[in-house]
Amino acid sequence: MSRNFTPDEILIDQLVLNDTDAFEELYHRHCYPLYSYCVDKLNSPADARSIVRDVFIRLWEKRQTLPVGFSVSLYLYQEIRKAVVLCVNQKLEEDKDLFTIQTQIIPGFAVVNLQQAKKPVRKSSSEIRYINSLTPNRANKNYWWNYNPSGITIKDIKMLLQKAFNLL
Amino acid sequence: MTTKTLYNKTGRYICGASMPAETRQIQTWLSCTKHNKMSVSEEEKAIIETLILNEVKAQTAYPLFYPKAEAPWWQKITAMF
Repeated sequence: MSRNFTPDEILIDQLVLNDTDAFEELYHRHCYPLYSYCVDKLNSPADARSIVRDVFIRLWEKRQTLPVGFSVSLYLYQEIRKAVVLCVNQKLEEDKDLFTIQTQIIPGFAVVNLQQAKKPVRKSSSEIRYINSLTPNRANKNYWWNYNPSGITIKDIKMLLQKAFNLL
Repeated sequence: MTTKTLYNKTGRYICGASMPAETRQIQTWLSCTKHNKMSVSEEEKAIIETLILNEVKAQTAYPLFYPKAEAPWWQKITAMF
């Protein structure tokens, strides 16, 4: 991975020019979260590996036809979700890993388990305070009061004004 | 739910012929990441990543067609700091 952070959009632009380094950078950024998601859903590391591999192969093969404003993370998660459903369907069709499906996957479709997805993600109070301090939010009065990107204080301005008056 | 019901549901979802409630159920299941508690060390993560990347390289054969440009010596030295 490179030492300097390059946004995904720039890496995608480089991907069009057959830049393998850009592809590998994107791969290292997104591979493991996708893999762990697949393992979580399918309970099968081998299937997860083949799904992630196929998704990245498709990304590499489609690199010349990627649209403007293409979001890699969105694309990858959409593809992974499709592939997970397809994999479950194929397993059921071939009567493969039925025990795993019955014990691990089917209980996930129960209403009690699905309701967990609708709950908002809870963040700790320190995280919320940190995010509020970063974003310009009208409710957060301290942000505007302390907003000083140039670093010039009132004391500095008073000093400069005094010097100006003295010169006049 | 039986395996047969799940098979029919996923089949309809893939074909885009599922009912709105079924679509919502499958999409909610896909969005539910409550059980995502894999504790894997950095080394294991790196091994998995390398394995998959090698498979991608083998299937696309991109290193053969687009070899990496060798970094100049001064860039290698500056990367150390």
